[in-house]
Amino acid sequence: MAKSNTPAKSSTLDAHVMSAEAALHDRFGLTYGQLQKVIADAVKGTGGKNGFCDVFLQAGSALGVSLDQGVIKSTSASHTSGAGVRVVVGDKTGYSHTDHVTVGNLRRCATIARAISEHAVDSGNVPLSPVSSVPHDLYAVTDSPVGIELKERIALLRKMDQLARAYDARITNVTVGLFVEDYTVIIATSRGDIMADKRPLVRLNVSCLAEEGTRRETGSSGGGGRFGFEVLSDETYWREHVQIAAKQAIDLLGATAAPAGEMDVVLGGGWPGVLIHEAVGHGLEGDFNRKGTSAFSTLMGQSVASKLVTVIDDGTIADRRGSLNIDDEGTPTGRTVLIENGRLTGYLQDKQNASLMQSKLTGNGRRQDYRYAPMPRMTNTYMAEGESSPEEIIASVKYGIYATTFGGGQVDITNGDFTFSATGAFLIEDGKITRMVKGATLIGNGPKALHNVTMVGNDVSLDKGVGTCGKDGQGVPVGVGMPTIRINNITVGGSKS
Amino acid sequence: MPSEDLEKIARNIIAEAKRAGATDCDVTISTRSAVETTVRMGEVEKLEGAQMRGVEFRALVGHKSASTSTSDLSASAIKQMVRDTIAMAEASEADPYSGLPEVEDLCTGYPELNLYDPSIAEIAVERKIELAMAAESAAREADSRITNSDGASFNDSSGAFIHANSRGFVGGYQGSHVSLSAGVVASKDGEMQTGGWWATSRDFKGLESPEKVGKTAAQRALRQLGARKVKSQEVPVIYDPLMAARLLSQFIGAASGAHIYRKSSFMVDKLGEMVANSIVTVIDDPLMPGRLGSKPFDSEGMKCQTRTLIKDGRLETYLLSSYAGRKLNCKPNSGSVGNLYLKPGDSTPESIIESVKNGLLLTSVSGMGFNAVTGDYSMGASGTWIENGKLAYPVSGITVAGNVLEMFGNIEAIGNDLNFRSSTVSPTIKISKMTVAGE
Repeated sequence: MAKSNTPAKSSTLDAHVMSAEAALHDRFGLTYGQLQKVIADAVKGTGGKNGFCDVFLQAGSALGVSLDQGVIKSTSASHTSGAGVRVVVGDKTGYSHTDHVTVGNLRRCATIARAISEHAVDSGNVPLSPVSSVPHDLYAVTDSPVGIELKERIALLRKMDQLARAYDARITNVTVGLFVEDYTVIIATSRGDIMADKRPLVRLNVSCLAEEGTRRETGSSGGGGRFGFEVLSDETYWREHVQIAAKQAIDLLGATAAPAGEMDVVLGGGWPGVLIHEAVGHGLEGDFNRKGTSAFSTLMGQSVASKLVTVIDDGTIADRRGSLNIDDEGTPTGRTVLIENGRLTGYLQDKQNASLMQSKLTGNGRRQDYRYAPMPRMTNTYMAEGESSPEEIIASVKYGIYATTFGGGQVDITNGDFTFSATGAFLIEDGKITRMVKGATLIGNGPKALHNVTMVGNDVSLDKGVGTCGKDGQGVPVGVGMPTIRINNITVGGSKS
Repeated sequence: MPSEDLEKIARNIIAEAKRAGATDCDVTISTRSAVETTVRMGEVEKLEGAQMRGVEFRALVGHKSASTSTSDLSASAIKQMVRDTIAMAEASEADPYSGLPEVEDLCTGYPELNLYDPSIAEIAVERKIELAMAAESAAREADSRITNSDGASFNDSSGAFIHANSRGFVGGYQGSHVSLSAGVVASKDGEMQTGGWWATSRDFKGLESPEKVGKTAAQRALRQLGARKVKSQEVPVIYDPLMAARLLSQFIGAASGAHIYRKSSFMVDKLGEMVANSIVTVIDDPLMPGRLGSKPFDSEGMKCQTRTLIKDGRLETYLLSSYAGRKLNCKPNSGSVGNLYLKPGDSTPESIIESVKNGLLLTSVSGMGFNAVTGDYSMGASGTWIENGKLAYPVSGITVAGNVLEMFGNIEAIGNDLNFRSSTVSPTIKISKMTVAGE
């Protein structure tokens, strides 16, 4: 374990230190010297127990505008400025945050946070240094998305509304929302590091209501990522989402109840990767495994899936919603192979858990915002592609479900049971898609179900960029992905028995 | 910050907004201090303490509106926020239905509801740690099969908030919450099951004992050991009070005015119609003293009142904010609920279980399989299988599905076990028939 207190210096790093110090002064009117003193006092206050301290500062804005029933329904702005001070001693954490960043308030936070040391003994563990201290440069943004004029944003919503209504006379309502944000985060630690990241994020959602007689159905779509507004406002981009939402609403008008029971299921590429997120990803987060409360805790190195299955968490993919130049502890994000050809190979770690488990620091320490201490979280998690074509996968199923869109999922970390809820699906009979069925919840057990993956497609894709993952009440933007796969004997929770 | 100071800031914001050209506006300011104390495996694991504050301001210029939230309460920041919000409203587009509530719907004078316990701020950290430790050890010592812990927490928060608008409403109150929770892992033969329990109260002395919280958490983990799947079939399903409350919240959520005027709800055109079996009555009472969901006025400053939402199975009213009221041409009655509950019946939970020959006692659901537009419902489920009126064995890895309108129509028994442990609560209910999917 590295215990050096002097981080490796490189010219690239120095440039980032400079920009972090400039951001600190610009956004909070503080100097790095003032911040270092707060941190030094916090660590000194832990009485030589190898305490670690970091300060996470965040400032920026989020803007939202939505159109519903043909009128602009809400126009909003949210301004954020705050900081959280964390003191870690071994497996113990003290945390305090302020909504009003001044040296005095940071000191008060440090006093509250370091009180944890009274309950700690010196474990000898201090958080590891990252392998690399050089942040990525993943967001191709020239103009901040929060600088775009409201009129321009409204104009985009209007165009989408019109296109959706023109799709079919049975589309009777359209809701479109556009959310843009840009936050600067600065992380300074008691190891002498200071890092900053400026994080743009944009998201577009469209939802259509279709009516026929007394029957009503909705369809929705959306996309986004860490890129500029100009990507969303490109016609081919928003047109695709409007058409997906409108088509789904119309198609669902003719859907019938899904069957119930165990059957073979084909999952389409992209968003159905929520299966991987729930069935595998959460269970491999370091905190649950350190504590031994994950269904995967004792399975490292063992076979947990069919040989066709390789699962990766990658926070370094350019422009993606789940990507970050550095995580919320200042560690550059990485690419971690969680399952390789069916064998469990990796955990997702933050500093505290990596240190306690003597495991590799993977750049997965994330938090919702400065009000929360970080913990191990996913970034973009996906299953790698295989060799089958999507057509042959569908053709291989005698009777089952082909599910392409999902509302979301949930997992019980400890027993491994996961559920994920399809919003639209199709029946497969004798290798052919015969009709659309209404959404149903699919349920399985993480360490068992992935052994039943019998075919993996050659069409891997990531979702369109609207996912938010919740853990312990904290939401963070993530990506999921998957190729088309066939998975045998999954329980489908339809209402038609 | 004392509430007089918040009121002063609120009044200043409104005056500033009027000067700057807003035709109407409202503002909510809140401050809160919170402490979280977490222990795990008999040791302190995490201590968190923080002071939070925030302003939400909405400006109307004619029928154009915009809103801003910030935590910066400095005079210069507030001035800037007011100007920027008005400029944003001006740049937006008119919605003819936007606006504040009418003056006659605003709350004037409200009862003291005992929502604040000043003694919470006096509890020493050591005492909080003791309580969390006691809850965790009660759980860990309950049975030798309890082998691991997710930890136990004692959390508290106290705060004040003010809402004011340009039509003369100013109201505010202090509130507090205290909670104790524990989660443990039971294991046997390599299988692990987790179970948790919690208690929440407005006042410290109203909190359930640590022993009760811990033991209940342990029981909930233990009872799932050995869980298995069952065959797919149609059976009666008993929702325990927690699951029934969750279902009730989904059902009543669909009666919210915003869903109705958008026609995105299975409750559209159901006013005055039967939406549940005639034994079902659902009440919202925000004015109960000391309860978790109590509030003297709603988030728009409108009067809160006790409402019977469903009477003997018939839908009596939608939940109408001032906006939804204007859209639907109805008098508003508040778009949110306070203490929402399903009126208890006279069956004991035991007698309801005895009435089932072959069926499911549902104690946990997972997933997002509820569609408020159609009422279609499909959730991951676990619980206990019932055979010949007796709890037989734990089940998991199954789903329960139906349509909530049909499910409420099929409620054939209601328990007498209502307990106001949350803001939305229900007694045990029995639904005569649902589809269970398993093997």
